[in-house]
Amino acid sequence: MNKLLVSDIIDLSTGTYLLKCLNNKLKITTNGDITIYIINELINNLDILVNDNSNITVFMINKNNPNNIDININEGNNTKIDFNYTFINHKDNTCVINNNIKGNNNNSNINIRNISNIGLSKIINNVYIDKLTKNNIALEDLKGINNGGLVHIEPNIICLSNEVEANHLTTIGGLDKDSLNYLMSKGINKDNAKELLLKGFIYSNMDEYIKSVEVI
Amino acid sequence: MLKLQDFSLSVKDKILFNNLNLTINDGEIHVLMGQNGVGKSSIAKAIMGDNNYQVQGHIYYNDEDITNLSIYERSQKGIYLLNQSPMQIEGVTNAEMLRVAVASRSNIPINIFKFNQELENICASLELDKSFIHRDINVGCSGGERKKIELLHMWMLKPSLIILDEIDSGLDVDAIKIVSKSLKKYYELYKPSIIIITHSSSLLNTFDNYYVHVLNNQKIIKSGDKTLAEDILNKGFKELTDTFVIRKRNENE
Repeated sequence: MNKLLVSDIIDLSTGTYLLKCLNNKLKITTNGDITIYIINELINNLDILVNDNSNITVFMINKNNPNNIDININEGNNTKIDFNYTFINHKDNTCVINNNIKGNNNNSNINIRNISNIGLSKIINNVYIDKLTKNNIALEDLKGINNGGLVHIEPNIICLSNEVEANHLTTIGGLDKDSLNYLMSKGINKDNAKELLLKGFIYSNMDEYIKSVEVI
Repeated sequence: MLKLQDFSLSVKDKILFNNLNLTINDGEIHVLMGQNGVGKSSIAKAIMGDNNYQVQGHIYYNDEDITNLSIYERSQKGIYLLNQSPMQIEGVTNAEMLRVAVASRSNIPINIFKFNQELENICASLELDKSFIHRDINVGCSGGERKKIELLHMWMLKPSLIILDEIDSGLDVDAIKIVSKSLKKYYELYKPSIIIITHSSSLLNTFDNYYVHVLNNQKIIKSGDKTLAEDILNKGFKELTDTFVIRKRNENE
Protein backbone atom coordinates (compact mmCIF):
# COMPACT_ATOMS: atom_id res chain seq x y z
CA MET A 1 0.00 0.00 0.00
CA ASN A 2 1.41 3.39 -1.04
CA LYS A 3 0.31 6.20 1.27
CA LEU A 4 0.45 9.47 -0.60
CA LEU A 5 -0.08 13.02 0.53
CA VAL A 6 -1.32 14.81 -2.58
CA SER A 7 -1.90 18.46 -3.36
CA ASP A 8 -4.21 18.64 -6.34
CA ILE A 9 -2.87 16.62 -9.30
CA ILE A 10 -1.39 13.15 -9.32
CA ASP A 11 -0.49 10.53 -11.92
CA LEU A 12 -0.85 6.98 -10.69
CA SER A 13 0.48 3.80 -12.25
CA THR A 14 -0.17 0.15 -11.32
CA GLY A 15 -0.46 -0.26 -7.53
CA THR A 16 -2.59 0.33 -4.44
CA TYR A 17 -2.81 3.81 -2.99
CA LEU A 18 -4.21 5.48 0.10
CA LEU A 19 -4.60 9.15 -0.74
CA LYS A 20 -4.50 11.95 1.81
CA CYS A 21 -5.52 15.28 0.31
CA LEU A 22 -4.05 18.68 1.09
CA ASN A 23 -6.67 20.54 -0.94
CA ASN A 24 -10.33 20.11 -1.65
CA LYS A 25 -9.66 19.52 -5.36
CA LEU A 26 -8.09 16.38 -6.67
CA LYS A 27 -7.30 15.34 -10.22
CA ILE A 28 -6.12 11.77 -10.73
CA THR A 29 -4.72 10.34 -13.95
CA THR A 30 -4.42 6.58 -14.03
CA ASN A 31 -2.41 4.06 -16.04
CA GLY A 32 -2.49 0.33 -15.31
CA ASP A 33 -4.22 -1.71 -12.59
CA ILE A 34 -4.89 0.61 -9.71
CA THR A 35 -6.78 0.52 -6.42
CA ILE A 36 -7.36 3.83 -4.68
CA TYR A 37 -8.59 4.41 -1.13
CA ILE A 38 -9.85 7.83 -0.06
CA ILE A 39 -11.04 7.82 3.56
CA ASN A 40 -12.78 10.72 5.29
CA GLU A 41 -11.21 13.38 3.03
CA LEU A 42 -13.03 16.67 2.47
CA ILE A 43 -13.02 17.02 -1.30
CA ASN A 44 -15.23 19.26 -3.47
CA ASN A 45 -13.93 18.25 -6.87
CA LEU A 46 -12.63 14.88 -7.89
CA ASP A 47 -11.56 14.26 -11.48
CA ILE A 48 -10.47 10.81 -12.57
CA LEU A 49 -9.02 10.24 -16.01
CA VAL A 50 -8.90 6.55 -16.82
CA ASN A 51 -6.38 6.13 -19.61
CA ASP A 52 -6.61 3.42 -22.25
CA ASN A 53 -6.20 -0.17 -21.04
CA SER A 54 -6.46 0.78 -17.38
CA ASN A 55 -8.38 -1.02 -14.65
CA ILE A 56 -9.32 1.18 -11.70
CA THR A 57 -11.07 0.47 -8.41
CA VAL A 58 -11.87 3.36 -6.09
CA PHE A 59 -13.11 3.01 -2.53
CA MET A 60 -14.10 6.36 -1.10
CA ILE A 61 -15.86 6.74 2.22
CA ASN A 62 -16.82 9.69 4.35
CA LYS A 63 -18.81 9.13 7.50
CA ASN A 64 -18.23 12.61 8.92
CA ASN A 65 -20.32 14.97 6.86
CA PRO A 66 -18.58 15.22 3.49
CA ASN A 67 -18.43 18.38 1.42
CA ASN A 68 -20.68 18.80 -1.55
CA ILE A 69 -18.79 17.05 -4.31
CA ASP A 70 -18.55 17.00 -8.10
CA ILE A 71 -16.99 13.83 -9.42
CA ASN A 72 -15.96 13.59 -13.06
CA ILE A 73 -14.83 10.29 -14.48
CA ASN A 74 -13.51 10.18 -18.04
CA GLU A 75 -12.83 6.90 -19.72
CA GLY A 76 -10.75 6.21 -22.82
CA ASN A 77 -10.71 2.79 -24.50
CA ASN A 78 -10.56 -0.73 -23.01
CA THR A 79 -10.93 0.45 -19.45
CA LYS A 80 -12.69 -0.80 -16.37
CA ILE A 81 -13.66 1.32 -13.41
CA ASP A 82 -15.42 0.35 -10.18
CA PHE A 83 -16.18 3.53 -8.34
CA ASN A 84 -17.51 2.94 -4.82
CA TYR A 85 -18.51 5.87 -2.67
CA THR A 86 -20.25 5.75 0.70
CA PHE A 87 -21.16 8.79 2.73
CA ILE A 88 -23.21 9.80 5.73
CA ASN A 89 -24.54 13.33 5.89
CA HIS A 90 -25.71 15.28 8.92
CA LYS A 91 -26.68 18.36 6.89
CA ASP A 92 -27.80 19.11 3.32
CA ASN A 93 -25.40 17.60 0.82
CA THR A 94 -25.11 17.28 -2.94
CA CYS A 95 -23.07 14.71 -4.81
CA VAL A 96 -22.93 14.97 -8.60
CA ILE A 97 -21.17 12.28 -10.61
CA ASN A 98 -20.52 12.63 -14.31
CA ASN A 99 -19.31 9.43 -15.88
CA ASN A 100 -18.15 10.25 -19.41
CA ILE A 101 -17.59 7.30 -21.69
CA LYS A 102 -15.89 8.59 -24.80
CA GLY A 103 -14.19 5.50 -26.21
CA ASN A 104 -14.90 1.82 -26.85
CA ASN A 105 -14.82 -1.39 -24.78
CA ASN A 106 -15.24 0.25 -21.40
CA ASN A 107 -16.89 -1.21 -18.34
CA SER A 108 -17.98 1.13 -15.56
CA ASN A 109 -19.74 0.44 -12.27
CA ILE A 110 -20.77 3.35 -10.10
CA ASN A 111 -21.87 2.18 -6.63
CA ILE A 112 -23.07 4.85 -4.23
CA ARG A 113 -24.40 4.30 -0.71
CA ASN A 114 -25.74 7.14 1.39
CA ILE A 115 -27.29 7.42 4.83
CA SER A 116 -28.99 10.73 5.36
CA ASN A 117 -29.16 11.42 9.09
CA ILE A 118 -30.13 15.09 8.91
CA GLY A 119 -30.99 17.29 5.93
CA LEU A 120 -31.52 16.55 2.26
CA SER A 121 -28.95 14.48 0.44
CA LYS A 122 -29.00 14.78 -3.35
CA ILE A 123 -27.23 12.25 -5.50
CA ILE A 124 -27.19 12.98 -9.20
CA ASN A 125 -25.44 10.42 -11.32
CA ASN A 126 -25.07 11.17 -15.01
CA VAL A 127 -23.69 8.58 -17.37
CA TYR A 128 -22.86 10.03 -20.80
CA ILE A 129 -22.09 7.62 -23.59
CA ASP A 130 -20.77 9.29 -26.71
CA LYS A 131 -22.08 8.86 -30.21
CA LEU A 132 -20.43 6.17 -32.37
CA THR A 133 -18.84 4.43 -29.39
CA LYS A 134 -19.04 0.63 -29.20
CA ASN A 135 -19.10 -2.24 -26.71
CA ASN A 136 -19.47 -0.17 -23.56
CA ILE A 137 -21.10 -1.42 -20.37
CA ALA A 138 -22.33 1.02 -17.74
CA LEU A 139 -24.03 0.23 -14.44
CA GLU A 140 -25.16 2.70 -11.82
CA ASP A 141 -26.17 1.25 -8.46
CA LEU A 142 -27.37 4.03 -6.17
CA LYS A 143 -28.88 3.33 -2.76
CA GLY A 144 -29.93 5.65 0.02
CA ILE A 145 -31.42 5.28 3.48
CA ASN A 146 -33.61 7.97 5.01
CA ASN A 147 -32.40 7.76 8.59
CA GLY A 148 -33.84 10.97 9.93
CA GLY A 149 -32.84 12.97 6.84
CA LEU A 150 -33.99 12.52 3.26
CA VAL A 151 -32.31 11.09 0.19
CA HIS A 152 -33.01 12.23 -3.35
CA ILE A 153 -31.46 10.30 -6.21
CA GLU A 154 -31.41 11.08 -9.92
CA PRO A 155 -30.03 8.22 -11.99
CA ASN A 156 -29.50 9.55 -15.51
CA ILE A 157 -28.19 7.67 -18.49
CA ILE A 158 -27.65 9.82 -21.56
CA CYS A 159 -26.85 7.39 -24.29
CA LEU A 160 -26.08 8.49 -27.82
CA SER A 161 -24.72 5.15 -28.98
CA ASN A 162 -26.62 2.11 -30.16
CA GLU A 163 -24.02 -0.41 -29.04
CA VAL A 164 -24.10 -0.15 -25.29
CA GLU A 165 -25.37 -2.08 -22.27
CA ALA A 166 -26.54 0.36 -19.63
CA ASN A 167 -28.41 -0.42 -16.42
CA HIS A 168 -29.38 1.43 -13.32
CA LEU A 169 -30.54 0.31 -9.89
CA THR A 170 -31.85 2.85 -7.46
CA THR A 171 -33.45 2.35 -4.08
CA ILE A 172 -34.37 4.80 -1.36
CA GLY A 173 -36.10 3.83 1.85
CA GLY A 174 -35.85 3.23 5.53
CA LEU A 175 -34.36 0.17 7.16
CA ASP A 176 -36.05 -3.05 6.12
CA LYS A 177 -38.62 -3.97 8.77
CA ASP A 178 -38.29 -7.71 8.18
CA SER A 179 -34.51 -7.53 8.58
CA LEU A 180 -34.95 -5.62 11.85
CA ASN A 181 -37.45 -8.22 13.08
CA TYR A 182 -35.10 -11.03 12.10
CA LEU A 183 -32.22 -9.57 14.12
CA MET A 184 -34.52 -8.82 17.05
CA SER A 185 -35.71 -12.44 16.96
CA LYS A 186 -32.12 -13.37 17.83
CA GLY A 187 -32.39 -11.32 21.01
CA ILE A 188 -30.84 -8.12 19.72
CA ASN A 189 -32.56 -4.92 20.84
CA LYS A 190 -33.90 -2.50 18.26
CA ASP A 191 -31.09 0.06 18.57
CA ASN A 192 -28.36 -2.56 18.18
CA ALA A 193 -30.24 -4.21 15.31
CA LYS A 194 -30.49 -0.84 13.53
CA GLU A 195 -26.81 -0.22 14.11
CA LEU A 196 -25.90 -3.61 12.62
CA LEU A 197 -28.04 -3.01 9.55
CA LEU A 198 -26.71 0.51 8.97
CA LYS A 199 -23.14 -0.73 9.34
CA GLY A 200 -23.86 -3.50 6.87
CA PHE A 201 -25.26 -0.98 4.42
CA ILE A 202 -22.34 1.44 4.79
CA TYR A 203 -19.78 -1.23 3.99
CA SER A 204 -21.79 -3.11 1.38
CA ASN A 205 -19.75 -1.55 -1.45
CA MET A 206 -16.44 -1.42 0.45
CA ASP A 207 -13.65 -3.97 0.70
CA GLU A 208 -12.00 -5.68 3.67
CA TYR A 209 -9.29 -3.03 3.99
CA ILE A 210 -11.82 -0.23 4.49
CA LYS A 211 -13.78 -2.37 6.94
CA SER A 212 -10.69 -3.11 8.99
CA VAL A 213 -9.54 0.52 9.04
CA GLU A 214 -12.99 1.86 9.82
CA VAL A 215 -13.64 -0.66 12.59
CA ILE A 216 -10.38 0.32 14.28
CA MET B 1 -43.75 -23.94 29.80
CA LEU B 2 -45.72 -22.32 27.00
CA LYS B 3 -49.43 -21.80 27.36
CA LEU B 4 -51.82 -20.38 24.80
CA GLN B 5 -55.00 -19.41 26.62
CA ASP B 6 -58.18 -18.37 24.76
CA PHE B 7 -55.80 -17.55 21.95
CA SER B 8 -57.34 -15.91 18.90
CA LEU B 9 -55.24 -14.86 15.97
CA SER B 10 -56.04 -12.68 12.99
CA VAL B 11 -54.20 -10.98 10.20
CA LYS B 12 -55.64 -8.10 8.20
CA ASP B 13 -59.17 -8.83 9.48
CA LYS B 14 -58.91 -12.50 8.55
CA ILE B 15 -59.50 -14.70 11.61
CA LEU B 16 -57.04 -17.61 11.64
CA PHE B 17 -57.72 -19.08 15.08
CA ASN B 18 -60.46 -18.61 17.59
CA ASN B 19 -60.21 -19.39 21.30
CA LEU B 20 -57.46 -21.94 20.95
CA ASN B 21 -55.94 -23.46 24.09
CA LEU B 22 -52.66 -25.31 24.17
CA THR B 23 -50.13 -26.10 26.88
CA ILE B 24 -46.60 -27.25 26.17
CA ASN B 25 -44.68 -28.33 29.25
CA ASP B 26 -40.92 -28.09 29.65
CA GLY B 27 -39.11 -30.60 27.48
CA GLU B 28 -42.22 -31.64 25.56
CA ILE B 29 -42.37 -31.87 21.79
CA HIS B 30 -45.61 -30.84 20.09
CA VAL B 31 -46.28 -31.20 16.39
CA LEU B 32 -48.75 -28.91 14.62
CA MET B 33 -50.22 -30.41 11.49
CA GLY B 34 -52.80 -29.13 9.07
CA GLN B 35 -53.52 -28.45 5.46
CA ASN B 36 -51.77 -25.62 3.63
CA GLY B 37 -53.09 -22.19 4.57
CA VAL B 38 -54.62 -23.26 7.85
CA GLY B 39 -52.33 -20.86 9.75
CA LYS B 40 -49.59 -23.05 11.23
CA SER B 41 -46.77 -20.65 10.36
CA SER B 42 -48.89 -17.75 11.59
CA ILE B 43 -49.10 -19.33 15.06
CA ALA B 44 -45.31 -19.72 15.03
CA LYS B 45 -44.79 -16.08 14.10
CA ALA B 46 -47.35 -14.89 16.63
CA ILE B 47 -45.66 -16.81 19.45
CA MET B 48 -42.38 -15.20 18.38
CA GLY B 49 -44.06 -11.77 18.56
CA ASP B 50 -44.46 -10.76 14.92
CA ASN B 51 -46.58 -7.63 15.15
CA ASN B 52 -48.18 -8.19 11.74
CA TYR B 53 -50.60 -10.46 13.60
CA GLN B 54 -53.31 -9.42 16.02
CA VAL B 55 -53.53 -11.63 19.09
CA GLN B 56 -56.39 -11.82 21.55
CA GLY B 57 -56.22 -13.94 24.66
CA HIS B 58 -52.93 -14.73 26.33
CA ILE B 59 -49.55 -16.27 25.66
CA TYR B 60 -47.77 -17.36 28.83
CA TYR B 61 -44.17 -18.46 28.91
CA ASN B 62 -42.82 -19.82 32.18
CA ASP B 63 -45.89 -18.42 33.93
CA GLU B 64 -45.27 -14.90 32.63
CA ASP B 65 -47.76 -13.22 30.30
CA ILE B 66 -45.67 -12.41 27.22
CA THR B 67 -48.62 -11.45 24.99
CA ASN B 68 -47.49 -7.84 24.75
CA LEU B 69 -43.72 -8.37 24.74
CA SER B 70 -41.63 -7.50 21.69
CA ILE B 71 -39.81 -10.04 19.53
CA TYR B 72 -36.56 -9.04 21.19
CA GLU B 73 -37.93 -9.59 24.69
CA ARG B 74 -39.38 -12.99 23.78
CA SER B 75 -36.08 -14.05 22.28
CA GLN B 76 -34.30 -12.93 25.44
CA LYS B 77 -36.63 -15.19 27.39
CA GLY B 78 -35.48 -18.16 25.33
CA ILE B 79 -37.94 -18.43 22.44
CA TYR B 80 -36.40 -19.19 19.07
CA LEU B 81 -38.13 -19.49 15.70
CA LEU B 82 -36.39 -21.47 13.01
CA ASN B 83 -38.08 -20.36 9.84
CA GLN B 84 -38.62 -22.27 6.61
CA SER B 85 -37.13 -19.40 4.59
CA PRO B 86 -34.74 -17.41 6.76
CA MET B 87 -33.94 -13.80 5.86
CA GLN B 88 -30.79 -12.75 4.07
CA ILE B 89 -29.01 -9.83 5.74
CA GLU B 90 -26.49 -8.18 3.47
CA GLY B 91 -23.47 -6.65 5.19
CA VAL B 92 -23.98 -8.36 8.58
CA THR B 93 -21.95 -11.50 9.19
CA ASN B 94 -23.07 -14.44 11.31
CA ALA B 95 -20.19 -13.84 13.74
CA GLU B 96 -21.01 -10.13 14.10
CA MET B 97 -24.68 -10.77 14.73
CA LEU B 98 -24.01 -13.60 17.18
CA ARG B 99 -21.44 -11.54 19.10
CA VAL B 100 -24.05 -8.84 19.69
CA ALA B 101 -26.81 -11.37 20.43
CA VAL B 102 -24.71 -13.44 22.86
CA ALA B 103 -23.34 -10.33 24.58
CA SER B 104 -26.85 -8.99 25.12
CA ARG B 105 -27.78 -12.23 26.93
CA SER B 106 -24.95 -12.08 29.38
CA ASN B 107 -23.04 -9.50 31.38
CA ILE B 108 -19.82 -11.44 31.02
CA PRO B 109 -17.53 -10.12 28.23
CA ILE B 110 -17.13 -12.52 25.34
CA ASN B 111 -13.85 -14.36 25.03
CA ILE B 112 -13.39 -14.04 21.27
CA PHE B 113 -11.06 -17.03 21.01
CA LYS B 114 -13.49 -19.34 22.80
CA PHE B 115 -16.41 -17.81 20.92
CA ASN B 116 -14.80 -18.49 17.53
CA GLN B 117 -13.75 -21.95 18.65
CA GLU B 118 -17.34 -22.74 19.63
CA LEU B 119 -18.61 -21.48 16.27
CA GLU B 120 -16.09 -23.63 14.42
CA ASN B 121 -17.03 -26.71 16.45
CA ILE B 122 -20.73 -26.22 15.72
CA CYS B 123 -19.98 -25.70 12.01
CA ALA B 124 -18.04 -28.96 11.99
CA SER B 125 -20.94 -30.83 13.60
CA LEU B 126 -23.32 -29.37 11.02
CA GLU B 127 -20.90 -30.15 8.16
CA LEU B 128 -20.96 -26.47 7.36
CA ASP B 129 -17.78 -24.85 6.05
CA LYS B 130 -16.35 -22.57 8.74
CA SER B 131 -16.05 -19.74 6.20
CA PHE B 132 -19.79 -19.22 6.73
CA ILE B 133 -19.02 -17.79 10.18
CA HIS B 134 -17.68 -14.62 8.61
CA ARG B 135 -20.05 -14.49 5.69
CA ASP B 136 -23.14 -12.29 5.49
CA ILE B 137 -26.17 -13.93 7.08
CA ASN B 138 -27.72 -16.37 4.59
CA VAL B 139 -26.56 -14.32 1.57
CA GLY B 140 -25.88 -16.50 -1.46
CA CYS B 141 -26.65 -19.69 0.51
CA SER B 142 -28.62 -22.70 -0.62
CA GLY B 143 -31.76 -23.76 1.25
CA GLY B 144 -29.83 -26.43 3.12
CA GLU B 145 -27.04 -24.06 4.10
CA ARG B 146 -29.55 -21.55 5.43
CA LYS B 147 -31.18 -24.10 7.69
CA LYS B 148 -27.77 -25.13 9.00
CA ILE B 149 -26.88 -21.49 9.64
CA GLU B 150 -30.09 -21.05 11.62
CA LEU B 151 -29.11 -24.13 13.64
CA LEU B 152 -25.69 -22.56 14.20
CA HIS B 153 -27.47 -19.51 15.65
CA MET B 154 -29.66 -21.80 17.77
CA TRP B 155 -26.68 -23.60 19.28
CA MET B 156 -25.02 -20.29 20.15
CA LEU B 157 -28.14 -18.70 21.63
CA LYS B 158 -29.28 -21.81 23.54
CA PRO B 159 -33.06 -21.26 23.51
CA SER B 160 -35.45 -23.12 25.81
CA LEU B 161 -38.41 -23.12 23.38
CA ILE B 162 -37.70 -23.88 19.74
CA ILE B 163 -40.27 -23.49 16.99
CA LEU B 164 -39.34 -25.39 13.86
CA ASP B 165 -41.45 -24.13 10.98
CA GLU B 166 -41.16 -26.63 8.12
CA ILE B 167 -37.39 -26.64 8.30
CA ASP B 168 -37.37 -29.98 6.52
CA SER B 169 -38.91 -28.51 3.38
CA GLY B 170 -36.54 -28.36 0.45
CA LEU B 171 -33.77 -30.33 2.17
CA ASP B 172 -32.07 -33.27 0.51
CA VAL B 173 -31.76 -36.60 2.31
CA ASP B 174 -28.25 -35.92 3.59
CA ALA B 175 -29.12 -32.45 4.84
CA ILE B 176 -32.18 -33.77 6.69
CA LYS B 177 -29.98 -36.36 8.43
CA ILE B 178 -27.55 -33.67 9.58
CA VAL B 179 -30.30 -31.28 10.70
CA SER B 180 -32.15 -34.07 12.55
CA LYS B 181 -28.97 -35.26 14.25
CA SER B 182 -28.16 -31.74 15.39
CA LEU B 183 -31.67 -31.17 16.76
CA LYS B 184 -31.66 -34.50 18.57
CA LYS B 185 -28.30 -33.73 20.16
CA TYR B 186 -29.53 -30.31 21.26
CA TYR B 187 -32.69 -31.84 22.69
CA GLU B 188 -30.77 -34.46 24.65
CA LEU B 189 -28.37 -31.86 25.98
CA TYR B 190 -30.70 -28.99 26.90
CA LYS B 191 -34.19 -30.55 26.96
CA PRO B 192 -35.97 -27.56 25.38
CA SER B 193 -39.66 -27.53 24.53
CA ILE B 194 -40.12 -27.89 20.79
CA ILE B 195 -42.97 -27.02 18.46
CA ILE B 196 -42.64 -28.71 15.09
CA ILE B 197 -44.60 -27.68 12.02
CA THR B 198 -44.17 -30.19 9.26
CA HIS B 199 -45.80 -32.06 6.40
CA SER B 200 -43.41 -34.98 6.36
CA SER B 201 -42.13 -37.75 8.57
CA SER B 202 -38.44 -37.03 8.01
CA LEU B 203 -38.05 -34.74 11.01
CA LEU B 204 -40.58 -36.56 13.20
CA ASN B 205 -38.55 -39.77 13.02
CA THR B 206 -35.85 -37.93 14.97
CA PHE B 207 -37.86 -37.98 18.18
CA ASP B 208 -39.23 -40.97 20.07
CA ASN B 209 -42.27 -39.33 21.61
CA TYR B 210 -44.30 -36.29 20.79
CA TYR B 211 -47.82 -34.88 20.87
CA VAL B 212 -49.71 -34.08 17.69
CA HIS B 213 -52.39 -31.44 17.14
CA VAL B 214 -54.36 -31.17 13.94
CA LEU B 215 -55.45 -27.65 13.03
CA ASN B 216 -58.49 -26.92 10.94
CA ASN B 217 -61.26 -24.36 10.77
CA GLN B 218 -59.67 -21.99 13.35
CA LYS B 219 -59.31 -24.75 15.95
CA ILE B 220 -57.41 -27.80 17.10
CA ILE B 221 -59.74 -30.50 15.79
CA LYS B 222 -57.83 -33.46 17.15
CA SER B 223 -54.90 -34.12 19.47
CA GLY B 224 -53.04 -37.35 20.02
CA ASP B 225 -49.68 -39.02 20.18
CA LYS B 226 -47.27 -39.96 17.39
CA THR B 227 -49.71 -42.53 16.00
CA LEU B 228 -51.96 -39.65 14.94
CA ALA B 229 -49.13 -38.19 12.86
CA GLU B 230 -48.51 -41.62 11.32
CA ASP B 231 -52.21 -41.90 10.44
CA ILE B 232 -52.24 -38.48 8.80
CA LEU B 233 -49.05 -39.14 6.88
CA ASN B 234 -50.57 -42.40 5.59
CA LYS B 235 -54.16 -41.30 4.93
CA GLY B 236 -54.02 -37.52 4.60
CA PHE B 237 -56.14 -34.90 6.35
CA LYS B 238 -59.38 -35.46 4.45
CA GLU B 239 -60.85 -38.15 6.67
CA LEU B 240 -60.22 -36.09 9.82
CA THR B 241 -61.48 -32.80 8.45
CA ASP B 242 -64.58 -34.41 6.90
CA THR B 243 -65.43 -35.98 10.27
CA PHE B 244 -64.97 -32.60 11.91
CA VAL B 245 -67.27 -30.89 9.39
CA ILE B 246 -70.00 -33.55 9.86
CA ARG B 247 -69.71 -33.28 13.65
CA LYS B 248 -69.98 -29.48 13.50
CA ARG B 249 -73.00 -29.75 11.22
CA ASN B 250 -74.71 -32.15 13.63
CA GLU B 251 -73.94 -29.86 16.54
CA ASN B 252 -75.49 -26.91 14.72
CA GLU B 253 -78.61 -28.89 13.79
